[in-house]
Amino acid sequence: MITIEQIAKKFSGKSGEVIALEPFSQEIAEGELVSIIGPSGCGKSTLLRIIAGLETPTSGKIVLGTSGLKRPVGFVFQDAVLLPWKTVAENIRFPLDTSGVPRSQGDQKVKELIQLVGLAGFENSLPKQLSGGMKQRAAIARALADDPPILLMDEPFSAVDLLTRETLNDELSRIWRKTGKTILLVTHSVEEAAYLGTRVMVMSPRPGRLRKTFDVDLPSPRGEETKRSPEFLDLVAELRTMMREMTQ
Amino acid sequence: MLKRSLIGLIGIVALWSAAVHLFNVPAYLLPGPLDVAERIVFLFQRANLLWHIYVTLTEILGGFLLGGLVGVASAIAFSRSPLLLRLTTPLILLLQTTPKIAIAPLLLLWLGLGAAPKIVLVAIVTFFPVMTAMLSGITYMNKSYADLAGVLRLSAWQRFRHIELPASLPTLFAGATVATTLAMTAAVIGELMGANKGVGFLLANGQENADTATVIGMVILLSFLGWAFFALLDYGRRRMEDRFR
Repeated sequence: MITIEQIAKKFSGKSGEVIALEPFSQEIAEGELVSIIGPSGCGKSTLLRIIAGLETPTSGKIVLGTSGLKRPVGFVFQDAVLLPWKTVAENIRFPLDTSGVPRSQGDQKVKELIQLVGLAGFENSLPKQLSGGMKQRAAIARALADDPPILLMDEPFSAVDLLTRETLNDELSRIWRKTGKTILLVTHSVEEAAYLGTRVMVMSPRPGRLRKTFDVDLPSPRGEETKRSPEFLDLVAELRTMMREMTQ
Repeated sequence: MLKRSLIGLIGIVALWSAAVHLFNVPAYLLPGPLDVAERIVFLFQRANLLWHIYVTLTEILGGFLLGGLVGVASAIAFSRSPLLLRLTTPLILLLQTTPKIAIAPLLLLWLGLGAAPKIVLVAIVTFFPVMTAMLSGITYMNKSYADLAGVLRLSAWQRFRHIELPASLPTLFAGATVATTLAMTAAVIGELMGANKGVGFLLANGQENADTATVIGMVILLSFLGWAFFALLDYGRRRMEDRFR
């Protein structure tokens, strides 16, 4: 589904070149949920932006097995990025409106998405009237609006409180199982990465490179008991040790 | 709101009338409100005042729309090409820092005594505040909106229509509001310097004939026109916010 071939990225500025990503390759299969963790400056956001087409790589290429779709990816930003002058429903319908989907068809789709992300009753609210968690729900619905096979999420839950975050994690897990999307999730949270991912990619900083990938062999669907299982706790401990080594 | 403004207005007129009578001010210095009103009615009946108002409004609105459209279009071009902005900045600043009152005679020499030089002058003074407002609206827009546009693969037009324009509307109209005052002033300056029609022409005529009632009448008329212009712009803002958001 996503083939990363020797992708590298350098930024050149006034103070010289900064290597954001050293060349690396990776295959991500259809329907996987890959978590990407690493300390600041490890290039995880850059990787996501390259896959989204927001940045061009200095070398290497990304092949998306999406056979010429106009919008192969949906993107969920860290701070939702809802358009403040549009209502929740209008924000979610925005990708449909800008690709010429008829109004009635769009409305039907928005209705389904509002149900899917649990925002029923807030269709006509403005973004400023929503809590941080609800904004992210709307952002997820918007990213899913025109049904892209790939969903890229850049620290989507880092701005919400812990309890909301756990709820949203379960919601995301449910949405992922229901829609079968291929998801790449960049996160700072080791627990979140292990809890949600079928695989965890650990990246290290300066220069950004892929340090290691872990397959997560935890049964699905996951829940509270997963978080208490020895396998989960072992994985989290190992990831945390690795993260601590990198930041020292 | 309207009621209170009206009470304030009546108060001022009453005070003016009282002062003229109490202090016996001669009419060539300060005629009373009734004299001025009489003169305005006279100008309506005998001097085709309505037509002069129409001329002045055409100059203001024509120049305002011209300068505003060029301003918005330039802002879009500058936001897309910083090089173009750097190349044209010296010229724009030169034009902007030159006193408009000094440009007016030049425009009259080039374009004659008709509406054209006034429209151009109004366009020049409107251009700058509208252009800078629109440009900063686009430039200081939330950077993530550009990412959203990128992810959604929006065309240049869609990006403008659905993101840049609605995001910039508040700043654009702040700039346009500043421009309304400048536009009024520019049109009147143009008419004072050389014209054979328009409210400013009647004003200049009144001054030449030491006809204080006409001068005051035209000043009052101009401030009402300015107020109407303001209200029109506000209506335009609301319409655009409904339409483009």
